[in-house]
Amino acid sequence: MSRCRKPHVLRLAAVVALAILATPAGAHHSFAMFDRQKPLVLEGTVLQFQWTNPHVWIQVAIPDAHGKNAEWGVECTSVNMLKRQGWHHGTLNRGDRVKLRLYPLRDGSHGGQLATLLEINGSPANLASYR
Amino acid sequence: MSHTFGPRTAPLRGSRIAIIALLFLGTQMGAVAAADAPPINELHADPNQPDVSGVWLETGYFTLSPDRAVPLLKPPFDALYAKRLKALDAGQPIDDVTARCLPPGMPHIMVVPYPFEIVQTPGRVLFLFEYASQVRRIYLDGRTPSDDDDPTYYGFSSGHWDGSTLVVQTSRIRAETQDDFSGLPHSDALVITERIRRIDHDTLEDQLTLTDPKAYARPFTAVRRYKLHPTWTIGEYVCEENNRNAPGANGVTGFGVPPARDR
Repeated sequence: MSRCRKPHVLRLAAVVALAILATPAGAHHSFAMFDRQKPLVLEGTVLQFQWTNPHVWIQVAIPDAHGKNAEWGVECTSVNMLKRQGWHHGTLNRGDRVKLRLYPLRDGSHGGQLATLLEINGSPANLASYR
Repeated sequence: MSHTFGPRTAPLRGSRIAIIALLFLGTQMGAVAAADAPPINELHADPNQPDVSGVWLETGYFTLSPDRAVPLLKPPFDALYAKRLKALDAGQPIDDVTARCLPPGMPHIMVVPYPFEIVQTPGRVLFLFEYASQVRRIYLDGRTPSDDDDPTYYGFSSGHWDGSTLVVQTSRIRAETQDDFSGLPHSDALVITERIRRIDHDTLEDQLTLTDPKAYARPFTAVRRYKLHPTWTIGEYVCEENNRNAPGANGVTGFGVPPARDR
């Protein structure tokens, strides 16, 4: 039994290590806090768009399983890197309906790292943040 | 105090016309001289240096070595790195100075995924990083660090050209900076030798050899590559503007709540 388990555990550890070290572009800090193996697609309403460095942030109200809104903090790359991918300071406004693909916080709290802004108010946006 | 510029300047009108005429003549003569001189590249102002100027962005990973190899660490650096890796595995990175908006220093800055601009002037190569507006100055005029120089985040860099390769030696680096985002440590004895060259027009290569007899059992070499982005302009980046990743009392990188603003 244990003979079967050990390689599996080692393999799992290697996968985890690779996931942690295969970090994306646009950081000012280590990204080990995000689970890049379990991206989520979420929809919500923009509460605040912080067009700032070191990271741009989108605060989004996202309904939980019971339909109750929870505020999520979504970290994007820097202002300059977003501009190079087609964003600008007015890309989002309070009240916009958004669909996001993000890498959630590994501790399960309401936050994550934005992969792509998929839709704004029902229209395709496909604005990347992290590759 | 009276500001009667009008009456005072009026009698000078004739002289002003003469000055303007002279200035105009000067610009014409300058234009003739410029036509004979080689064109000046705004980033490459030293024709004696091979051209590595431009805006470059790293390719690859946050680790010092793209294949994630690390030096063979001596105690106590091996235990320190093991502790940091364990924290990374747990999703709770510790000791990350960049999360506090402190400079990454050398060699960490060379693996930061933001662009930098290389400017070459006579006797000097400048790396102007977008990340936190950091600067590396590489002196080609033969000056070397003095033993009295305090260790700094980027150390002291002396360089020379070996054919089309810029060879840079950097020493007197602060001991607490890390080599990359995984928290790879080094000691105050670290000396970095870089061989920087263009392997094709759009690709810059930096071969970094880290020699650190206190922390590493033997010298370690990593090769990084950077892609040219000729249309990019380096932007401003002030890390302290809205840093929500400052570590808490436990040293773990934070993920802070937004500051109260108009909500």
